[in-house]
Amino acid sequence: MKKISKITTTALTITSALSFAAPEVLAAGSNPVTADPAAEVDYSGTLSILTKFGSQQLSPFFEDVAKQYTEMHPEVSVELIQETDDSVKGKTKTLVATNSMPDIFFSWTGTWGGNFIRGNRAVDLTPVVGAGTEWGKTFTPAALDAFSYGGRNFGVPLYLDAKFMGYNKSLFADLGLEPPTTFDALLETCDTISAAGVVPVSFGNKEAWPAVHYAGQLLVYNVPVETLEQDFDPQTSAFDHPGYVTALDQFRAFIEHCTTGAPNGTSYEAAVQAFSDEKAAMYYQEIIEFDGSANSDTALQPEEFGYFVLPAPEDAQGDPNAIEGAPEGYMVSAASDQIPLAIDFLKFLTTQETGKVLSASPYGQPSAVVGGSEPRTMNASVVAGMADIDEASYLMPWLDTVHHPRVAATWLSGLQALVGGSMSSEELVAEVRETSAAVRD
Amino acid sequence: MVPTDPHFPGAATSGGTSHEICRPALLRRALIRALSLRWVVLAVLVVGAFIYVPIIDNFRVSMTNRDIFTGEISQVGLENYQRLLDDPVVWRALLNNTLYAGLSIVFQVFGAFLLAAMIEGLKSRRIRNLCRAIYFVPSAISTTVTGLLFYFLYQPEVGLLDAGLTSIGLGALSRPWLALEDTAIFGIIAMSQWQGFGYSTLLFSIAIQKIPRELYDAAIMDGAGPVRRLFAITLPMSREMTGLMVIVTITGAFQVFNEIMVMTAGGPNNSSQVLGTWLYQQAFIQNEFGYGAAIAAVIFAVTMLTGALQVWYTSKRRVKL
Repeated sequence: MKKISKITTTALTITSALSFAAPEVLAAGSNPVTADPAAEVDYSGTLSILTKFGSQQLSPFFEDVAKQYTEMHPEVSVELIQETDDSVKGKTKTLVATNSMPDIFFSWTGTWGGNFIRGNRAVDLTPVVGAGTEWGKTFTPAALDAFSYGGRNFGVPLYLDAKFMGYNKSLFADLGLEPPTTFDALLETCDTISAAGVVPVSFGNKEAWPAVHYAGQLLVYNVPVETLEQDFDPQTSAFDHPGYVTALDQFRAFIEHCTTGAPNGTSYEAAVQAFSDEKAAMYYQEIIEFDGSANSDTALQPEEFGYFVLPAPEDAQGDPNAIEGAPEGYMVSAASDQIPLAIDFLKFLTTQETGKVLSASPYGQPSAVVGGSEPRTMNASVVAGMADIDEASYLMPWLDTVHHPRVAATWLSGLQALVGGSMSSEELVAEVRETSAAVRD
Repeated sequence: MVPTDPHFPGAATSGGTSHEICRPALLRRALIRALSLRWVVLAVLVVGAFIYVPIIDNFRVSMTNRDIFTGEISQVGLENYQRLLDDPVVWRALLNNTLYAGLSIVFQVFGAFLLAAMIEGLKSRRIRNLCRAIYFVPSAISTTVTGLLFYFLYQPEVGLLDAGLTSIGLGALSRPWLALEDTAIFGIIAMSQWQGFGYSTLLFSIAIQKIPRELYDAAIMDGAGPVRRLFAITLPMSREMTGLMVIVTITGAFQVFNEIMVMTAGGPNNSSQVLGTWLYQQAFIQNEFGYGAAIAAVIFAVTMLTGALQVWYTSKRRVKL
């Protein structure tokens, strides 16, 4: 026993010694790096780029752009790391943790992008893409502003994104239905569709974030924007507005009336497939998914595809004209030794011509560049959705990227429990409140 | 008489005292021994650098909190271990890992042992080979593919499982297996048994084949039936393989990751989290690398302890011919 105790003590002593011997700061961007507009571009070397276009539908876009760029500059080679919506989060963090960030990397806005600025890992692009610059003027102002932190621009928006309810026009017409304009009308519409033996809304929540998207839109309808923004930050959060519970109760009602089967056991890909196969009347999706869910290869043809904004409850206390969504774009790594070349590539990526390719089928990603879309070549729903985004009073950021990771994780698992019926709205809000308080402490 | 060494013939040929004669031989022998150790040293260095140093480093990291974006590291002592105790998901994950290990031992060790004994008891060599091949096939499929296969098999509307249950009049048992907090982990464990069963059976078959036939012949002459022969000969003579399989199964159960990520990603509501997936979520999704390292330390401790206990037990009960 004495021997074991001795060994344990020795092991703990060694471990503690090692612990205290650890360096205080690992290599990170130690000083802010600002882009130099006068820097000469050296068109040679390899440019590494982490994208979020890893899906079969989207991956050719960056491949084509890279090919065009390297044809213009034969001494340059482009190394693409193409990830999907799900995998890019883990990949990015692994690259950050190992100080291996590529020259150009994908970023969401909000807290996600803020992390790179906090750690001085993204180049301050204000001198080259700031609001008053030539390049900056080519973007939709709101999209550019979304990548602004403390009045400085750290990112280049590539496309706009927002969440809408896609629906099958033919099916609605057959049942004599019109797109609902209030939340209660949506529930009634679901009941009518269910009675006709059709799945009202195809909903897959295995990945947990699809429920977060519903919750985000309902929260901005029920909780004032100022309160929401205050609660995004653990230092000021309270999560005591009654609109939180109201929004989650509405979501539960939606689950009850509008979905069938077991959403928590269904992947979001299976859900969109059910909608594309005309097995469901509606599917809540991002505008960047419009072209994927209805195209010439799917049973649901583009002309049968319609959309509407998730309708707001009539007595909502929040902002009924807000839409959940945000632009998505790219940043330049502060550790890159080819910053001028990376900026040059981003300029090439955000020309009107490239924007038109990106906005048109089969990509259907509404370009953030002014004039970067050609309605004639685009899905009509994408064009109309872009107009709705422009008219929105507020763009509600995604809950899982705007909150602290621990708070976001509580939203994700808690909403799965809410969908599965093992947690009440009050319990979920209390859990989120507790997590936020724990992060603050 | 001066002792001669066949490896050093010159050591005992000169005259003088035995002490004087032996000294160069001993020195040479020590030198040879030291030289032969160079390969061991190399192996130890490689294993040390790639296994033991990271393990020790993991303990160091577990006593820190690191912000991966700023690179700032704060020393928190045993705070992450304290947090482990208060984290309900960790306990849930530990329970799931234990369930995984327990059920895997039942099916992949004892079940596979019985099946192997039955297969090896078959008279036809061709049928024996066929059976081994049939049971081994699932093990040749990648875990990710198997996970996807079972994900579809468990689907409530189009899955084969519920359709099969309904067709035999057990439709009342149909449910969305992976979508319910109570059943998700069992669905994954079942898939794992399906996949690992054949591999274990094959290993037990090999162990059983090595048992001398004379023992069985003698037992038959003594009037022992098949069940008696199984427990009196086959089981004790396969003890080392059984011990090895228990270690491999338990450590495997505590390292499970792919199946969970493919089928449920730990959900719904963290009900199917295991320590490996929770570690991944903490480290790579929530940026809590220190806390993730603390979870890794728990996994290491559990598997190390299990392995040590099993090795000790097996060595004590080893059957020598």
